[in-house]
Amino acid sequence: MRRRIVITGMGAITPLGHSVDELYRSQLAGKSGVAPIRLFEASTFPTTFAAEVKNFDLGGYVRDPQRWDNSGVNTRFALAAAQQALSDAGLLGNGVDPSRCGIYFGSGEGIQDFNHLIPLIAEGYRNRENTVDSVKFAAGGLRYFHPGREFEQELHTTPGHVADYFGLEGPNYNCLTACAASSQAIGEATELIRHGDADLMLSGGSHSMIHPLGVTGFCLLTALSKHNEEPTKASRPFDLHRDGFVLGEGSGMLVLEELEHARRRGARIYAELTGYGSTADAFRITDSHPEGRGAIACMQGALDDAGLKPETIGYINAHGTSTQVNDRVETVAIKKIFGAHAYKVPVSSSKSMLGHLIAAAGAVELITCIMAIQHGVLPPTINYEVPDPECDLDYIPNTAREKRVDHVLSNSFGFGGQNVSLVVSRFDR
Amino acid sequence: MSSSRRVVITGIGIANPLGIGPAAFWDALERGTNGIRTIQLFDPSAMTTRFAGEIEGFDAKDYIDKKDRKSLRVMARGIQLAVAAAQLALDDSGVDKEKLDPTRFGVEFGSGLLPTELQELGVAGQISTNGVPGFVDLKKWGKEGLAGIPPLWMLKYLPNMHACHVSILHNAQGPNNTITQSDVAGVLAVSEASRIIARNQADFFLVGGADSKVNPLSFVRQCLFGHLSQRNESPDKACRPFERGRDGIVIGEGGCVLVMEDLEHAKRRSARIYAELVGCGAAFDRDHTGGGHVRAMRSALAQAGLQPDDIDHVNAHGLSSVKSDAVEAGAIKQVFGSCRRPVPVFAPKSYFGNLGAGSGTSELAASLLALGHGQIPATRNYEEPDPACPVAVTRRLEPLTRPHFLKLGFNELGQCAAVVCKKWT
Repeated sequence: MRRRIVITGMGAITPLGHSVDELYRSQLAGKSGVAPIRLFEASTFPTTFAAEVKNFDLGGYVRDPQRWDNSGVNTRFALAAAQQALSDAGLLGNGVDPSRCGIYFGSGEGIQDFNHLIPLIAEGYRNRENTVDSVKFAAGGLRYFHPGREFEQELHTTPGHVADYFGLEGPNYNCLTACAASSQAIGEATELIRHGDADLMLSGGSHSMIHPLGVTGFCLLTALSKHNEEPTKASRPFDLHRDGFVLGEGSGMLVLEELEHARRRGARIYAELTGYGSTADAFRITDSHPEGRGAIACMQGALDDAGLKPETIGYINAHGTSTQVNDRVETVAIKKIFGAHAYKVPVSSSKSMLGHLIAAAGAVELITCIMAIQHGVLPPTINYEVPDPECDLDYIPNTAREKRVDHVLSNSFGFGGQNVSLVVSRFDR
Repeated sequence: MSSSRRVVITGIGIANPLGIGPAAFWDALERGTNGIRTIQLFDPSAMTTRFAGEIEGFDAKDYIDKKDRKSLRVMARGIQLAVAAAQLALDDSGVDKEKLDPTRFGVEFGSGLLPTELQELGVAGQISTNGVPGFVDLKKWGKEGLAGIPPLWMLKYLPNMHACHVSILHNAQGPNNTITQSDVAGVLAVSEASRIIARNQADFFLVGGADSKVNPLSFVRQCLFGHLSQRNESPDKACRPFERGRDGIVIGEGGCVLVMEDLEHAKRRSARIYAELVGCGAAFDRDHTGGGHVRAMRSALAQAGLQPDDIDHVNAHGLSSVKSDAVEAGAIKQVFGSCRRPVPVFAPKSYFGNLGAGSGTSELAASLLALGHGQIPATRNYEEPDPACPVAVTRRLEPLTRPHFLKLGFNELGQCAAVVCKKWT
């Protein structure tokens, strides 16, 4: 018998609220977290809006917030969401063996010191040769870059700081598989507990790419919606007039725990993590496979892992980015797996309201799925106005829906072709 | 909990300051060759440290099919090292790629922060700055600057792209992941991939790590961290793990990919087997005293069902950092201190420096090759023992006396991992 893994705590810092309850209530109300960018002057960028986390104060969650003054929001959001999740699970100050509690995050990079980097590059740039004078650049860099803030951009800092602060001394991992990262982290954290490497894992993701170079990069790839005149309408997954995704930011954290460990300490159990599938498209860096080859295989993998037939799935939380290609291919893939049942299973995209939290998206969306199991109300896809003949499933248009669901599938597909699907199930003794 | 499926290593592909390919790499280890020199890839004269482990004459075109070469334009050097090492690993494994089931073929990499090539932002920067440090006119940047940046700029620097490009080039449609735990990323990637094979979700895996910090932006940052060796006058003497005169880390660049495979799969294709991966462990060293290192090593040994006395040698992290080496040595002593003979400790970074996310698999490769050659390499520059590092560092080629070795890796925040491999006989 393999070890069973349950979810016993959750936390979230998102554009739709700084708690799991607020996040879920906002989604049921069909609220949009999207607005003009306030974090930096973006008015002349091709895209001028995003879903930002508003009024965040780390001091509400940790004793000594100034300790993380050099850190990016990836670490700061993660600390707050982790505090919520661990407290929700009754683990703060509780006598669990720290060496059996680990971390597996899908956390993104910190934010580059744009205002110093760019002038230094410009100063040393030689147009004719298209090179930058490394001597000038180094001299300036040594003078103007701040060592602490430079260090905090590194990809291992977020899981390191959270483990240190909360005293989690078991295995410590971070993966970064673009938009699939935190789902993959949760899947692999589950496997670590199943294998016996830990009894409890804090897992999830944290990320923000709402900064000049992040928005620059996505604008250049023409991946973002340009609905500048009406930002709240910009993220419209599965709608005919969708024109790209909307950047979001935030963190979602879950406490994953071996069932007997949770029982022994009398923990409240939200749901069971029953299935995990991971595949690669192996197709192109910039496009997903047109027939959804990798997406189909990873959904099948997650169902097989859970030992469930497609008909048992009551709700699908789609990757649903609001790009032309993703939403069409994801629809094709769902139909391939679910056959006739595809038209009966409600599908919605949290990104219609939250935007795309990149590495953190999967964790926040899985939390949404768990709340749907708990409360029996499925969040809608907002801005669904004009049906696309190629996207013809039930996307829960615009209004939340009451429905009891026992098994839920959550999809996350990463840029570059990594696909992850997770299945969560109502906890059944 | 244990699976009946066994995981073996059947291929090594390496691009390293010591050489390209496992034969050149081993030859240099056996001879004690130095791979660290004054930086040639850019003019380092304004840096506080001006040397590194550089790969000489690396051209990624040599390792990629003609039809795929245009994709090199969207690969930062670290990704190119990964792609080259993956091709070399497949070559070394002797596998017929056409016979692999693509859905059972996984890819996993250790990877780190990839720095932008500075000139790619040069035009946009000139348009939107006025010579004042710390000032960028974002309105100009957004309106006119963007047009001066290559459209695929961001893709060239995403840390998951090593694994993506490798999966695309070799049609690997199975599980695909990228671990970003700095210097320990490679060891963690090896651990995780072995578990995926053991739990029957893949039969064949390319598992690697690659990194290059030998570029102006990464190197400035490393200089700012204040942890680098300052021996600018004698780079070949700079990396001296566990040695009394050590004064800091030496940066290197490199990539190494291992072919990992289900044992039965390897047998069916009559593969040459370097070793079996028999144990992995990971832990967090919260208080920086080595407790995490000890737990990672002990859980790897326990999973392998071994005692410390069964281990031929420890392949150490050995950074050449004053504090870190002392903590590591203390941890090794705690685990192996009661062995009948002092366990030999080999520190591969003494040859080529710290390869960051590329270090774990590259250093594993050294011991995998040592199993086949029956000899553990010497640790370079180990001249005067440091009482603060009470371990038996290898001073010359030593004969292998036992079939198992343990590889330890960690990073400065305390993320630790260990794996145990067994010589295949």
